[in-house]
Amino acid sequence: MVQGVNTVVGAVPALDPDAQLMLRVRDGDEHSFGVLLERHRNPVIYFVYRMVQDRAIAEELSQEVFLRVYRSRETYEPTARFTTWLFRIATHLALNWLRDGRNERGHQRLDAPRESDKNGDMPAREVSDRKPSVEQRMVYETRLQEVRSAIALLPEKQRAAVLMHKYEEMDYAQIANVLECSESAVKSLLFRAYETLRARLAHMVTGVPK
Amino acid sequence: MTCPLQKEKTDLLLDYSAGRLDAASAAALAQHMENCPACASFRTEQTAVWNALDMWEPAPVSMDFNRRLWQRIDAAAAAPWYRSLRDSLRFTDWKPVIPLTAAILVIAAGFLLDHPRANPGSNALVTGVSVTSVSLKEADQVEQTLDDIQLLQQLDAVTPPNGGNSKRM
Repeated sequence: MVQGVNTVVGAVPALDPDAQLMLRVRDGDEHSFGVLLERHRNPVIYFVYRMVQDRAIAEELSQEVFLRVYRSRETYEPTARFTTWLFRIATHLALNWLRDGRNERGHQRLDAPRESDKNGDMPAREVSDRKPSVEQRMVYETRLQEVRSAIALLPEKQRAAVLMHKYEEMDYAQIANVLECSESAVKSLLFRAYETLRARLAHMVTGVPK
Repeated sequence: MTCPLQKEKTDLLLDYSAGRLDAASAAALAQHMENCPACASFRTEQTAVWNALDMWEPAPVSMDFNRRLWQRIDAAAAAPWYRSLRDSLRFTDWKPVIPLTAAILVIAAGFLLDHPRANPGSNALVTGVSVTSVSLKEADQVEQTLDDIQLLQQLDAVTPPNGGNSKRM
């Protein structure tokens, strides 16, 4: 079951700037909420997108994340880093969506070729100085599809841990706080996840896609 | 330096591949990997994974994301409480609640079946019925007994005390 917005997620050594902004939101300053939204909107949406792999769903769930943050402003207590709290909400919503069986359409899309534009991935970016050739684009699309599939096939918690570790650059302690487990459990999750990814993606080191 | 793979300190190798290890530890690990093919292979493969994951960057967010969010915030503020409650439960995962609810119902049903007189009203009714049926049965038995006694008294009155002995003599 989805947990409500819980602001008590562990001790925080010092009040981080985001928590200060959130305290201002608690006091009725809507502008501070706008600042928080601008600062964390993209990381949250990208994280949720990589979890559910559907752009529309990712934006809908991310809206719910920020709506919950706003709704809980009156009871907010800065007992943890703001981003820990924020990503805990995002992770809960994404995991619940995945577990709720509403992801079948998304998995079907994963199997379809050349879906990156529809799903919201960037087009070929590695050749930015000139228009990529058809062959370059195909190679890029194939590799991107492999990456997306490899991530999607990870168990949900491993997936969340990898995405926070890789893309949000969170340390083990913060990931543990978000996932509500121990640091050693996070290390174990990451080790197993990267082990799987190495088996699936290591061939890319040669530059030859499958 | 002890091999991180043997010491189950693979997080060191992960951090090294991610470029998040402090300079001293990174230098020590780099020196170790010159003589440790297993760790060097781990680093090569992990770097490949890291680079592959770098490829995946989502497209920009919709331009109207903020506007839609503020609209929802305004709508939520103006909505009645039951609609706010419904919206807040919208993304709730109810699946774990279903077996819990079923278990509670089964326990409750079992308790009711095991204790059918738990209800005071039904208890009185059941007791009344059994008392009534027991009383009727006893009254029949008493009436039958009284009839038998009356019949014996009539027989005694009709029969003479020594009538049988005089005929034989």
